[in-house]
Amino acid sequence: MIEEIQYIGEHLWPGRIGQAAVFIAFSAAILSSIAYFFATQKREDVELSHSWRKIGRVGFGIHGLAVFTIIGMLFYVMLNNYYEYQYVQAHVNDDLAFRYIFSAFWEGQEGSFLLWMFWHVILGGLLMLSAKKWESPVMAIIASVEIIIGSMLLGIYIGFGPEAFRLGSNPALLLRDVMEAPIFANAEYVSLLDGTGLNPLLQNWWMTIHPPTLFLGFASTVVPFAFAMAGLWIRDHRGWLAPVLPWALFSGAILGTGILMGGAWAYEALSFGGYWAWDPVENMSLVPWIVLIAGIHTNLIARTTDQSIRATYIFYALSFIMIVYSTFLTRSGVLGETSVHAFTEMGLEWQLVTFIVVYVLLAAYLFFSRVKGIPAPEKEESTSSKEFWMFIGSLVLLFSAVLITASTSLPVYNKIRTFFDPGFVGRVITDPVPHFNKYQLWIGVFIGLLTGFSQFLRFREKNFSSYWKKFLLHTGIGVLLAMVFTYLSTLAINLSAWQYQLLMFSGWFAVVTNVDHIISFLRGNLKVGGSAISHIGFGLMIVGVLFSGLNQKVISRNPFLMEGLTANEEAKRNTVLLIKDSPMIMDEYEVTLTGDSIDYLTRTYYIDYKRRDETGQVVEQFQLEPNILYDKEFTKVAASNPSTKQYWNRDVFTHIAALPPEEMDITEKKAKEDSLDYKTYIMGIEEKLTFLDTVPVKDRDTFLVRSFDLEVLDIQRNAQHKDYIPETGDIAISAWIKVTSSEKDTSFIAKPVLVLRGQVLYSFPDQINPLNTRVKLNEEVFDLVYTAEAELDYQEYVISQGDEVTVGDIKVKFQGFNKDVTLPSYEKQEGDIAVAAMLNATTTDGKTADIEPVFLIRNSKPLNLKDEATEIGLHARFVSINPKDGKATIFMAHQAPRAPKASFSVATRSFRTDWVALQAIEFPGINYFWLGASLMMFGLTISMYHRIRTLA
Amino acid sequence: MKKVYIIAGIMIAVAVSLFVMAQDDLSTYATISQAVKTGSRVKIAGQLAKDMEMIYDPVEDPNLFTFYIRDDEGATQKVVLLQPKPQDFELSEQVVLTGRMQEDAFVATDVLMKCPSKYKDEEIYLKEQQG
Repeated sequence: MIEEIQYIGEHLWPGRIGQAAVFIAFSAAILSSIAYFFATQKREDVELSHSWRKIGRVGFGIHGLAVFTIIGMLFYVMLNNYYEYQYVQAHVNDDLAFRYIFSAFWEGQEGSFLLWMFWHVILGGLLMLSAKKWESPVMAIIASVEIIIGSMLLGIYIGFGPEAFRLGSNPALLLRDVMEAPIFANAEYVSLLDGTGLNPLLQNWWMTIHPPTLFLGFASTVVPFAFAMAGLWIRDHRGWLAPVLPWALFSGAILGTGILMGGAWAYEALSFGGYWAWDPVENMSLVPWIVLIAGIHTNLIARTTDQSIRATYIFYALSFIMIVYSTFLTRSGVLGETSVHAFTEMGLEWQLVTFIVVYVLLAAYLFFSRVKGIPAPEKEESTSSKEFWMFIGSLVLLFSAVLITASTSLPVYNKIRTFFDPGFVGRVITDPVPHFNKYQLWIGVFIGLLTGFSQFLRFREKNFSSYWKKFLLHTGIGVLLAMVFTYLSTLAINLSAWQYQLLMFSGWFAVVTNVDHIISFLRGNLKVGGSAISHIGFGLMIVGVLFSGLNQKVISRNPFLMEGLTANEEAKRNTVLLIKDSPMIMDEYEVTLTGDSIDYLTRTYYIDYKRRDETGQVVEQFQLEPNILYDKEFTKVAASNPSTKQYWNRDVFTHIAALPPEEMDITEKKAKEDSLDYKTYIMGIEEKLTFLDTVPVKDRDTFLVRSFDLEVLDIQRNAQHKDYIPETGDIAISAWIKVTSSEKDTSFIAKPVLVLRGQVLYSFPDQINPLNTRVKLNEEVFDLVYTAEAELDYQEYVISQGDEVTVGDIKVKFQGFNKDVTLPSYEKQEGDIAVAAMLNATTTDGKTADIEPVFLIRNSKPLNLKDEATEIGLHARFVSINPKDGKATIFMAHQAPRAPKASFSVATRSFRTDWVALQAIEFPGINYFWLGASLMMFGLTISMYHRIRTLA
Repeated sequence: MKKVYIIAGIMIAVAVSLFVMAQDDLSTYATISQAVKTGSRVKIAGQLAKDMEMIYDPVEDPNLFTFYIRDDEGATQKVVLLQPKPQDFELSEQVVLTGRMQEDAFVATDVLMKCPSKYKDEEIYLKEQQG
């Protein structure tokens, strides 16, 4: 019999509410979906349909409230650091700043599923208000998606024993429900817990804004999908084309923005050294967007010409299915070693596969059962019509999506092959980036050209013979201007291959033709110019990709050449070592590491960039501040954040690739300190000493003998050191030691510090980097500087205020009591009664000193705290007060001060620690990329507003 | 829709030929012995040999990191990575390298690591004992 442990300190009610809300959300989604299903099926019977619809609305409302409740509950336990909850323990810790609480929320799979559901609820709410006759079928689909995502949070087991299948992963579970550990035998385990915290790489504001935007993008693709399914379902193949358009444009703009933010994050905050790496996770968010954009184009064709309705169905359905497929790829662990940022397995693979299969089957069934009824004009579009070339453009986009998907799905193909043939050896793409670039380049060329000339064509062209002159004129102007711009671009950057020149041309062609379109055809009316703006953006983006991707220049070129490397391999070696205060010429810049500073866990390095003209005048100067972030125990470097100088036409990007090992990891620091060959010396002020050191010369069987001169310049009792933060009660000693090496003419002064805090010693050695020499103080230094109590011969003095006594040769005047105790060794505690005796000492040779020893009653026990005037050798202890006459009993001793000595150790073969390994890359024209990509999203948004207006 | 069908047909043809061409971009994970034999650019996967030395001395050359891996066949291979030492490298179990064999070392330009630290929910963090 296992005894039930009564745990103390658990907060169980939020978990119970959360659990209940998970089940309510799931059940209400089922109810809503079924009700909306019948509301659609019984649409002939208006009254019955309306009552079903009412149930559907109520169901979806309850579902929404339940989702909000789960989210609220999860935030509540996270904000209160209730570590007994598994999700809190996994994503939060005591040190996590409040501003990262959202990031921590969607760091985990469950949180991101909740985010996805949250947006579906919001979008569903908007649809209930606006979709009118489409509400029932559209909401039936959306609610059904919510059932499936909701099931990912259920966390229930189906079946028994070890074979049991777990359905979903519940965010409201307690830690002790999900794992077994000896700590749970302790009834008070909760008070011992701390959380894992948020991955330091994710602790930046991109993590706060990127996931919600991207998930709104993901979530919004369900709307065009649901409209498409609804159109097929109720066989109204034309009616849905108008209301779906604003939603599709919205989805395109948001999903695109979300993807871009990911790129911006990678470029600006992470050290990926670029904005796009063709990583599977990136690819699979891009594919649904490309398909969606293809769908928007066929949707426009269908609205104006009745052509391409089938294609629109397929594209919108595919876009959502690709979102689900992308979810499967990133969350199932199938990508394995091909991606840097895939989630790890969570046991949800089969649920995710089911998710895909359900909607593929639904879409396929609806499409093929109704395909005969879909209007498709007999007459073909003419090649001189706009719709023909738009359709070709959509096919090119689809083609691009197919290629990307096929390459990215290689791990899935491998898995399937291996399933049937265990001997099959999986294949991988050797170098993904060139592989993708090679094919997508042609997509870029085609799309650029198509977006250019097709703008000048007309829908349903019947009379091209009277129009072709105008068409040719504008296209011709476009070609000429694009050639001029391409030529100018080849002057600015190096465009080696003709393929790149062609792509550059097609990018500029898209820009100039669409600008022309806005001026000549739209007469500057931007309200209807969304498409032209988007297409200008696309062209500009292509130009930016070529500028920044092809001509990114490694500034930090590496001076160490290795034999036998190919040019490509040598180009990969793009890190240089930068030593503090020694300027290094990199490319056209003179780069200097000027220093570093530490703020809590962040260490910032200051890198100075200077560019001079021929006469040596500085024509450009700026400072970059890349930083590194230590983990919360300060034991290791957790993240490295780049810093970028941005000009309108280029960026200079800098990040720290490596630091001295002892700065990266505390164990390295200890190991290094232990490995040093320290020699110990005890010397007084102004004493001098010379010693010899033999250094093996690298790669040769010779030794170098160097001599070192040491001199103690000063010993200080109030020491300072850049890493030492003084606290009250510290005894800190520093010795200034001059070190001169025969190797170099100059002398260097080391200022090591040793601190006694309570019973603990803290050593702050000093490193003289130019001499590779390290100096530290030894514990003995305290005995050498301070006189030991045992050596003192205390005499008792009972004195009143104003009395003057002689201690040895010193006259001491008792000036009175001071209740405001300032003695550094005194730490105030609750209930203390403390008073200091103000003593003024004068020596025979006229030196004076003030000391204030303290008498203290703590917990009804009398205590005293010593004070001393080291310079004149007076020591005093204030041991009691006579309450009757107010006389103080003070023990005083005089001991002539000794010349203080320093005990220190010197290691002469300590390698320098004042450097960083730095990567610096110049990205020319990267802002064309950002501007172009943003224009593309802006254009989509303008079109969305335009379509909403014309809908009403 | 005839013209569209023709164009779609051309696209499918192009796609098929691209897929055939793309076979050149693909490779299997090579074993160390295969990498030695071919000498061409391959991907190899292996376990990081933690009992062997790892050298990264940026003062000497910040773009040179040497370590050893062990593949499924148990063979050990010296690897020269032309990059600074990746963060948390010593924690990784499996590494995937892209590069080629040159003399006795595998010269790698790209590395992907699988870190067990990602499976962090296996640990329970406790509060630091104040004392």
